[in-house]
Amino acid sequence: MTLSTDASALSTAMPPENASVEDAQRPKDYLPGDFNMWVFVLGDMIIFAIYFIIFMVERTRDRTLFLASQQHLYQTIGLINTLVLLTSSWCMARAVRATRSGNSVQALRLVIGAAFCGIAFIAIKVVEWSLEIHHGYTLPRNDFFTFYFMLTGVHLFHVVMGLVILGVVVRELRNPDLRRVSMVEAGATYWHMVDLLWIVLFALIYVMR
Amino acid sequence: MLRDRLTWVWAALSAITTLSWWLARTAHDNGHFVASTPVTIGILAIGFVKARLILQAFMEVRTSPKWLRLFCDMWLLVFWGAVLGIYLYQ
Repeated sequence: MTLSTDASALSTAMPPENASVEDAQRPKDYLPGDFNMWVFVLGDMIIFAIYFIIFMVERTRDRTLFLASQQHLYQTIGLINTLVLLTSSWCMARAVRATRSGNSVQALRLVIGAAFCGIAFIAIKVVEWSLEIHHGYTLPRNDFFTFYFMLTGVHLFHVVMGLVILGVVVRELRNPDLRRVSMVEAGATYWHMVDLLWIVLFALIYVMR
Repeated sequence: MLRDRLTWVWAALSAITTLSWWLARTAHDNGHFVASTPVTIGILAIGFVKARLILQAFMEVRTSPKWLRLFCDMWLLVFWGAVLGIYLYQ
């Protein structure tokens, strides 16, 4: 199932800065990264889906409490953090393309940009948590805040793990002997999953009414 | 950059994220949040579209093997369907 690639092979097949041609020329049924990373990512998607379903069931049991508690979340901070992660994913997707076209300098810059957005996300989240705790909305406050801190906490752990993976990608991109397209793709797959899970979290915890 | 599909996807994702934030702000009564089925259905629909865009465009599921395309579409349908079903259940 694993389709390993190297930069030189892909650079001839995929011209840079031309997304439509890139898609058309990518081998059909191409699995980016490696199979093991996909197994991990799909497994995580199932586990998070179960967490979110449990949240929905609990929300149905006490809609009034959940709605009233949502009022105390910083909606605009949630929006900004979502935009930060989307920008991070955009950088990473372009880093994959730059790596394939053999432009490792641009790829490196884009991965560092993605990581910088990840660090900004963590900083903003810490500020948000601090504000909540300062106003007395702590984890044991009620069921909603227990879910809020648990889900955003587990997600934040994934962001930290993602940053470690991006660090490995940066290390590989810096060394021509270690440079592999499949490694950058696998890092991107994980990083996009972190974004995907946050998209769900933002919809269910912050903005649904 | 304007001809870049990834950039358009990012712009669309950012725009509909802001739309869902704005939609949520419309569901209030004198500043107090109130339940709103139309707003929630809109927000869940936007969430579904965003999740599919990330999978298809950023994670490149669109050009991936059939088993992965099927898995992701099944995940999207079952998960968002379950969320909507639980929300609507009285």
